[in-house]
Amino acid sequence: MTFLISYWGEQIGQKIRKITDCFHCHIFPYAEHEEGRLGALQQVQQQSHELQEVLGETERFLSQVLARVQQLLPPWQVQIRKMKAVYLALNQCSVSATHKCLIAEGWCAARDLPTLRQALQDGSSEAGVSAVVHRIPCRDMPPTLIRTNCFTASFQGIVDAYGVGRYQEVNPAPYTIITFPFLFAVMFGDVGHGLLMFLFALAMVLTENRPAVKSAQNEIWQTFFIGRYLLLLMGLFSVYTGFIYNECFSRATAIFSSGWSVAAMATQSDWSDAFLAQHPLLALDPNVSGVFLGPYPFGIDPIWSLAVNHLSFLNSFKMKMSVILGVTHMTFGVVLGVFNHVHFGQWHRLLLETLPELVFLLGLFGYLVFLIVYKWLQDYAARAASAPSILIHFINMFLFSRSPTNQPLFHGQEAVQSALVILALVTVPVLLLGTPLFLHWRHRSRSQRGPAGRQPDEDKSGILDSSDASVAGWGPDEEKAGCPEDGEEAEFVLSEVLMHQAIHTIEFCLGCISNTASYLRLWALSLAHAQLSEVLWAMVMRSGLGLGRKLGVAAVALVPIFAAFAVLTVAILLVMEGLSAFLHALRLHWVEFQNKFYSGTGYKLSPFTFASEED
Amino acid sequence: MLASSAGGDPAHLSIRSSAWHPSLGVPRPAMTAHSFALPVIIFTTFWGLIGIAGPWFVPKGPNRGVIITMLVATAVCCYLFWLITILAQLNPLFGPQLKNETIWYVRFLWE
Repeated sequence: MTFLISYWGEQIGQKIRKITDCFHCHIFPYAEHEEGRLGALQQVQQQSHELQEVLGETERFLSQVLARVQQLLPPWQVQIRKMKAVYLALNQCSVSATHKCLIAEGWCAARDLPTLRQALQDGSSEAGVSAVVHRIPCRDMPPTLIRTNCFTASFQGIVDAYGVGRYQEVNPAPYTIITFPFLFAVMFGDVGHGLLMFLFALAMVLTENRPAVKSAQNEIWQTFFIGRYLLLLMGLFSVYTGFIYNECFSRATAIFSSGWSVAAMATQSDWSDAFLAQHPLLALDPNVSGVFLGPYPFGIDPIWSLAVNHLSFLNSFKMKMSVILGVTHMTFGVVLGVFNHVHFGQWHRLLLETLPELVFLLGLFGYLVFLIVYKWLQDYAARAASAPSILIHFINMFLFSRSPTNQPLFHGQEAVQSALVILALVTVPVLLLGTPLFLHWRHRSRSQRGPAGRQPDEDKSGILDSSDASVAGWGPDEEKAGCPEDGEEAEFVLSEVLMHQAIHTIEFCLGCISNTASYLRLWALSLAHAQLSEVLWAMVMRSGLGLGRKLGVAAVALVPIFAAFAVLTVAILLVMEGLSAFLHALRLHWVEFQNKFYSGTGYKLSPFTFASEED
Repeated sequence: MLASSAGGDPAHLSIRSSAWHPSLGVPRPAMTAHSFALPVIIFTTFWGLIGIAGPWFVPKGPNRGVIITMLVATAVCCYLFWLITILAQLNPLFGPQLKNETIWYVRFLWE
């Protein structure tokens, strides 16, 4: 903005000057002559031109510098973050004023100690100062480190999601690698669906090293990608159980000839065409000779997929299968607890806990499995109406009563059952009082021997007297030498141990019953999957396949019908049912299997690493 | 693959069925009976090889323990599942209940 100011008189002139000074204006005297004025204007214009050039140069220079910095900025940022992380880690060390050094205490796996020493030597050799590492005794529970490779990592992940194991406790993950996909497959069994899942997982596994696949940002894809080996095994086992259930997209295949002969039944029972026309439903009788030719050698007989009463047979089969698998899985869990007791040297728990637990579980539910298998091996077809009912026998076993109409399965069954129930009842007080009383007796005999002179080999077992009855022992790495918390060892509160043991006993005994029933979800979900699959086929594909005799019409209509079938199969049966079966198999592992032996109250070793800084 | 027919003309089918079987009253030759012992031997041997003999052939390496565990667990699970299925069908208490259309069709197809 330019002003032309003309004034009369000196004083006004001074006031104007003061005002213009205030506003930091540039003042140019108005020359008398035209040339003077033009010259002044030219000068001012030149000045402004030069200033603009300088500004332009400066901006160009600035953008050049910034462009160079932009290329160098990401590695600088990474460097700064790394430096920050290193300093954060160094801040956690304590400064020793006397020795003028930093002291750091941390955990290190015993196997990695030589590597650690080597790394410290390499690092400090350049600086000229030496970094040394000593092993010191410690009373805290060490963190858990389980080394996994890319295959076992996902299975360890699902075990750790429930709880990281205590130090040196038995790790259920190696067994979970197979039992988890197997229990999933029992609930998902279908050859077609299993094959689709297997192929999808195989595609992910074969392309796992491609950067486009590895670093995809989509979260849902990342979830599937991390569990690709899990999906691979799940699909593979589902194909196997699909062959056993004889279901491929809900259709049965007759690989071997069926064990039921309709023709023999028809000829023996004189089923003429008129007779068949009058009776819409007829049953095959296994008593008639030649009708039942033997069990189907691999899986469920294909005749059942044609039968109207197939659910009656399948329900009975699947319920018994669930109970057998459940009792086996839980017994395996109790047996895994043996490894824990042996490793930590708690021999008394073998006799006072594992043995009563096994007697209780196998005496009651192992006997149920025995009844199931025994009845399967007997031929009751001739007197099917009066065949003994396992359920009523089992109920009467607990009530010590009998039903006169229910035949015994074998001679002396009542005596055996009574003996088993009494044996199981006897194990309950042993489980409840055995360990606390033993620990109490041992603590008293030890304190009576005198508190002086604690030998080194007693220190290891001394830990076991603490109030937590299921404490973890110490590995051979840690040495015991005068630590400040000596007082805790001598403390042994009987009431706390008794309460802990009472909770454990109630949990185990009631858990046996409820957990066995919980395994019936294997039956429930496999039934749901089979029925959903059957409904989808009947409603979608069959209406398309039965569209009429004109080939052209059927062929054209089948394309959208198959598209709908495929979309619904993937969306409902693969994704929804897959997630559902995954969840239930996970629950069976986390609760019913792991509460027999796993405490899961540890914490992971989290070493300092730059990897988490670079995401 | 089998699928019971969605609907059929019984008269049409009955004409076809009487055209199919030439001699009424003579029992047709029975299907081959399934033995129980043979599948048991075959599958016990198969899963026994995988679960008991397999671990001896696993090469030494850091993963030897995991692979042996996997082999044994697979053998136990799969064998148990197959065994349960065949035992459940060994002595059936009742037979399948079929629709008359299915009987017409299967009677002559599965022989």
